[in-house]
Amino acid sequence: MEEQAAQLTQAIDSILAGAGSLLPELLLAIFFLLLVTLDLFKSKAIKRLLPWLAATGLFATLAIQLLGGYTSEGVQFLNLLRSDGLARYSGLLFSAAGIFTILLSLQNKRLEKLKEGRGEYYALILMLVLGLNLMAKSVNLLMVFIAIEVVSIASYILTLTLKEEKRAVEAGLKYVLYGTLSAGVMLYGMSFFYGLTGSLDYTLVSFWRSLLDASPLMVTVAAILIFAGFLFKISAAPFHFWTPDVYQGAPMPVVALFSTGPKMAGIIVIMRFVAAFADASISGAFSDILLFLGVAALATLVVGNFTALWQRTPRRLMAFSSVSHAGFLLMALLAFGSEYMTSVLFYMTVLLFMNFGLFLYLQVAEEKWGVQTLEDFKGLGPKAPYAGIVVLLYLLSLTGLPPLGGFMGKLLVFSNVWEAYSLTGQTMLLVLLVTGILLTGVALFYYIKIPYYLFLKRNQSAENLVISLSNKLLLGFFALPLLVLFFKPDLLLHWIERILAQTL
Amino acid sequence: MDYILSSLIFLPLLAALVVLLLPLRFQKTMKVVALSGTLLQLVVAVLVYLGFDGNAQANGQTGYQFVEKLNWIGFSLGSLGRFQIEYFVGVDGVSISMVLLTGIVGVIGIISSWNITKNVKGYFLLYLLLMTSVMGCFLALDFFLFYLFFEFMLLPMYFLIGIWGGPKREYAAIKFFIYTLVGSLFILIVMIGLYTSVIDPEATAQQMGMLGQGVPASFDLIRQMQQMLQQGVINSSDMVRTFSIPAMMEPANFIPGSLLHVLSGVTLFDYPIRFAAFLLVFAGFLIKVPSVPVHTWLPDAHVEAPTPISVLLAAILLKVGGYGLIRIAYPIFPDAGAYFATLVGGLGVLSIIYGALCALAMNDLKKLIAYSSVSHMGFVLLGLASLTNEGVNGAIYMMFSHGLISAMLFLVVGVIYDRAHDRTILNFRGLAKRMPAYTAFVVIAFFASLGLPGFSGFIAELLVLLGSFSAPEATGLLPRWLAIVAVFGILLAAAYYLWALQRMFFGKYWIFPELRKKAAISDLNFREYLMLVPLAILALLFGIFPHLLLDKIGMAVAGFTELVLRNGQEQLNMVLSTLIN
Repeated sequence: MEEQAAQLTQAIDSILAGAGSLLPELLLAIFFLLLVTLDLFKSKAIKRLLPWLAATGLFATLAIQLLGGYTSEGVQFLNLLRSDGLARYSGLLFSAAGIFTILLSLQNKRLEKLKEGRGEYYALILMLVLGLNLMAKSVNLLMVFIAIEVVSIASYILTLTLKEEKRAVEAGLKYVLYGTLSAGVMLYGMSFFYGLTGSLDYTLVSFWRSLLDASPLMVTVAAILIFAGFLFKISAAPFHFWTPDVYQGAPMPVVALFSTGPKMAGIIVIMRFVAAFADASISGAFSDILLFLGVAALATLVVGNFTALWQRTPRRLMAFSSVSHAGFLLMALLAFGSEYMTSVLFYMTVLLFMNFGLFLYLQVAEEKWGVQTLEDFKGLGPKAPYAGIVVLLYLLSLTGLPPLGGFMGKLLVFSNVWEAYSLTGQTMLLVLLVTGILLTGVALFYYIKIPYYLFLKRNQSAENLVISLSNKLLLGFFALPLLVLFFKPDLLLHWIERILAQTL
Repeated sequence: MDYILSSLIFLPLLAALVVLLLPLRFQKTMKVVALSGTLLQLVVAVLVYLGFDGNAQANGQTGYQFVEKLNWIGFSLGSLGRFQIEYFVGVDGVSISMVLLTGIVGVIGIISSWNITKNVKGYFLLYLLLMTSVMGCFLALDFFLFYLFFEFMLLPMYFLIGIWGGPKREYAAIKFFIYTLVGSLFILIVMIGLYTSVIDPEATAQQMGMLGQGVPASFDLIRQMQQMLQQGVINSSDMVRTFSIPAMMEPANFIPGSLLHVLSGVTLFDYPIRFAAFLLVFAGFLIKVPSVPVHTWLPDAHVEAPTPISVLLAAILLKVGGYGLIRIAYPIFPDAGAYFATLVGGLGVLSIIYGALCALAMNDLKKLIAYSSVSHMGFVLLGLASLTNEGVNGAIYMMFSHGLISAMLFLVVGVIYDRAHDRTILNFRGLAKRMPAYTAFVVIAFFASLGLPGFSGFIAELLVLLGSFSAPEATGLLPRWLAIVAVFGILLAAAYYLWALQRMFFGKYWIFPELRKKAAISDLNFREYLMLVPLAILALLFGIFPHLLLDKIGMAVAGFTELVLRNGQEQLNMVLSTLIN
């Protein structure tokens, strides 16, 4: 009895000691509860306040993450979480993504007119960001599972926000079915790992060392089962089938969030998972796992880029574009031996801005101009020249052409892969590198479709299109960093390096 | 004078900004701004040309003039050391001719665009952006900077063809974009490989504290650094990796053990990886040149593009391909350049003959001229592959001369198209009767292009053929039959030009009945004289006084061939010896 009590106090002490490092998550949780509570009141004034309250919560989190200071060495919270520089920088990206989502939602007519569930919608965004932060911090298999589930549950409901629409319901159902299946498979794989090692601390080298005795086939199968869950979150092939439907059915700001937040968090989880593979003895023993990841990256790149070619609607086009970016990020993770973490974070930052910018444009086009398919963009370019030029910047950046941040991000990643190839001589890396670069040509072909319809095709109707000032400002706000990150990428790179160096 | 090259690059960009800020109704002002922007660029280009010292030693690694070098992007990636990207521009004999050409053609193109009515603002904005990126491409000595300008060229071109082009413009524009993008992606792969393998000895010395910041390194110190690098005593974290093209030309700057190092011994499909890298860069520039078999985008792009854009495309954009081979592919991979000489020369000859045969078969005058471009650019490849002084001089001369003459050719096609809205050869006969002055310029352009002595095209073809004939003895590179076959290209050129001339311009005046309603056949107007006369004079001037250009480029070419041959032979032996071991 006394022993148990001692253990309990020890656990509580450990939790309390680690609580400081969870400041951003605590803040998000508090604001989440606040939003849910206030949503119960019927007053219109309070309801109108809710988005701003959610934004305040995210801004406060962002501020804390900017200031830093809460990060610390080692693992906290019963060895479940790790608040290092990696988690801090990715946390910044998640908070920014949350804020951008709210900004987009405030411009969205259908969301503004939503009769019920408006407060819930904003609360769920907070919950999703909270889950993302936990994902990035987890160093324990069970904690990863819980964090992923937090994100998933929030995602399911957010997909269904516009529940009177048939497409939304279809998307939501598909998402839930795929999601629960992949979660189950992932849990199954985790149970193998626990059975083999008796531990869940998968980021430790010792964890993998203890797996050296087990049958390699068993370990590989277990790892692949776990990756089913991770790859589902980042919409990598062959777990990407939900993507186009969800992108077609969910509200635009939510799609923008899905295309960035969970993808980044999933990549960070995989990054932590394979971190132990930098040790040559481990990557040598479990080379099959790396091979699987390499093949998955290759398949994702190829499937994403080539399927995007046949899409007729901008939403589905962007769904496959996001699949291809997942493949790209996966490839970046395999460049062991090079300092790939900085490049990956740089790329994610660029991805954040270009995706939100593009989805804002699509939202304006869909709501104000009634654009449903790519052909509907016909001749709209000269009628809204400012937006047309800005969207061109986003698309070229997504393709990866200079002078935009997307090019710089790709250049850095490719350099890492090349470096890793020259260190290890793994043919897989060379194949990935060459495929990744050449697929840019394919990517151009589908991204250019939007400017092609915008500027090269004519439209007879004469009236000019109006875009509200706030939308114009936002479009410019998302485009500016793309230019800055091309011409002065070292500013951000130095900063990322400093943050990563803090606690690693 | 310190920033003369920057002003050359950014003057059109400045003009573009002015055009951007002008309200839509000031269309005339926009044209004037664009004209003055390109005129200023021409003036500066002529100043650079006059100020360029043609007697200075130069070999690609050194000897650049009007150099500007500023730090642009620098970051460190942990154990990999620092990466540096510089704003590094300069001219040598190879680029000076291209700079002058770009200046001249830029102005001519604006005059030719004077009648544009559709979306004037967008047109001149894109035109000026294009001028900036082309000029930047010819002046950049940092690979990253070069690549930036090289890729940025595609976008304005895509829209210029796609919006202001002919009936199938969308197809032609996307084909152009995809083809050339794939080419530049090949180059990107190699660029990544190169900059992770090459260090800047001077900056590395500064990083290691052996040299104060901002102090230029002495020759001995650079040698010492290179020796230390090859002995492997420099820490990886001290290395400053660079995009500088001259640094990449020095084999001693390659990090030992890096994949593209001469002694890396890494093979890909049984070829040394350096050979594969050369082939990638070569293919990338080959698409731009363009050479058979990757030329198919060119006829489409030319036929659909509006006249001024065709002029730019033929006169300067194609030159970027040849220029890239001379500036990047050959000096950085001289071993592979020597090894693949027959391939390069063979593709050149194939382009000469196949392009000429296609031209012979064309009914559309513009397509005929597009294929004649393919044929003439083949001479550039042939001259370059010979690696003799005459051949390389000839290749550069051919690029310059073809720039002037092809501009003229596309302008004369534009003249008839403006009047008849048609350019099918068989729809016209006896045009000389109604348009004598026009016919005179067509004859001048055709004869200049087919290599009549007295015009610049003759000098170029003569030099290339001299070089490729003497190559078997001088450099031991090309088989003799290549040069012999190439001569038939000139014959074929005479055939397709004279045949076209005979069909369209001589005989009794007749035009296709359906065209008569719309066509207003009148002779040249003032604006057209303004474009054609200077070009004709220049083609004649550089045909009679070739030393005007050859004096400027001679030293650089001599340095280039010496460097490529010397390094090429040495490195080829090393590469092959590592393979045998």
